[in-house]
Amino acid sequence: MRPFPKLRPTVWDTLVVLCVAVLAVGLAFFQWRGGQSQGLTAVVSIDGTEAERFAPGELLEQPRTYTNNGYTLEVACGVWGEVSPWNHVSSGGEQGVCVVVSDCPTQDCVHTGTITRSGQSIVCLPARIIIRLEGGVTDPDAVDAVLG
Amino acid sequence: MKLTTKQLSLCALLTAMALALSYLENLFPLSLAIPVPGVKLGLANIVTLFALYALGAAEAMLILLARCLLGSLFAGNLNALMFSLLGGLCAMGVMIVLSRLPGLSLYGVSAGGAAAHSCGQIAAAVLTLGSSAPLYYLPVLLAVSLLTGGLTGLASACLFQGLAHTDLMKG
Repeated sequence: MRPFPKLRPTVWDTLVVLCVAVLAVGLAFFQWRGGQSQGLTAVVSIDGTEAERFAPGELLEQPRTYTNNGYTLEVACGVWGEVSPWNHVSSGGEQGVCVVVSDCPTQDCVHTGTITRSGQSIVCLPARIIIRLEGGVTDPDAVDAVLG
Repeated sequence: MKLTTKQLSLCALLTAMALALSYLENLFPLSLAIPVPGVKLGLANIVTLFALYALGAAEAMLILLARCLLGSLFAGNLNALMFSLLGGLCAMGVMIVLSRLPGLSLYGVSAGGAAAHSCGQIAAAVLTLGSSAPLYYLPVLLAVSLLTGGLTGLASACLFQGLAHTDLMKG
């Protein structure tokens, strides 16, 4: 006869939870720290190959559409925390890139909202399209190197 | 591996239940609240956890493989097979190890399995897309897996409590 499982939480369960929490926080710290919000470049990759590279501000002129794997994404300029029409971006928040319309079944790319910092990305798994922000302006007053 | 008629019937029944739960969780799109690719309740993990304790690791693995294969066939999306297989196999491996540790309850085993499932899904996304960009979502998915793992652990505990008087646990 197999042992009946414990049905009430134990102290050892807390250890498992702690391990997962530490891993999550560690990864978040490692990946999310130091993201810049100025001088960014949006990099669009389709099927693992870089397709286009542009400054997010260029989307103010016109949104761009990308089609792959039978799905089409419309990428526009947005403000963090809100999805704005491409030609009506308020100056109240950090500007970035968002997917405004997609015909993919999951709609995760649309729900991700606007990304505004370097290192952030919007992933559309059904379309196999990734939009990633790279670069960023470094502090001009920062020390380049210390000699001696 | 030889299965008795009772074990085979139970495996088939649990596979059908896991498929039904996978379909059911589409009615509760967790991604609307947490817009991260791959985030979901993982209700089918209740069946995996139950099979692991009530039938054994080999039978639970059979149910998992059947569920992943049939699930992607029914959905008409073979691309999803890699995601469900990698996620499921990672979760199963971790749950088999954790279930053998005497101090852990269903909650700890379930939370560990849910976290491993997230890691497997992200690995599948990295392999499919050929980019490390999906790793950006892993911290969020791990945090969510603690919540969903706790919920599936609670559901499994209720299930075992309800079935404690039956002979299912006697093999």
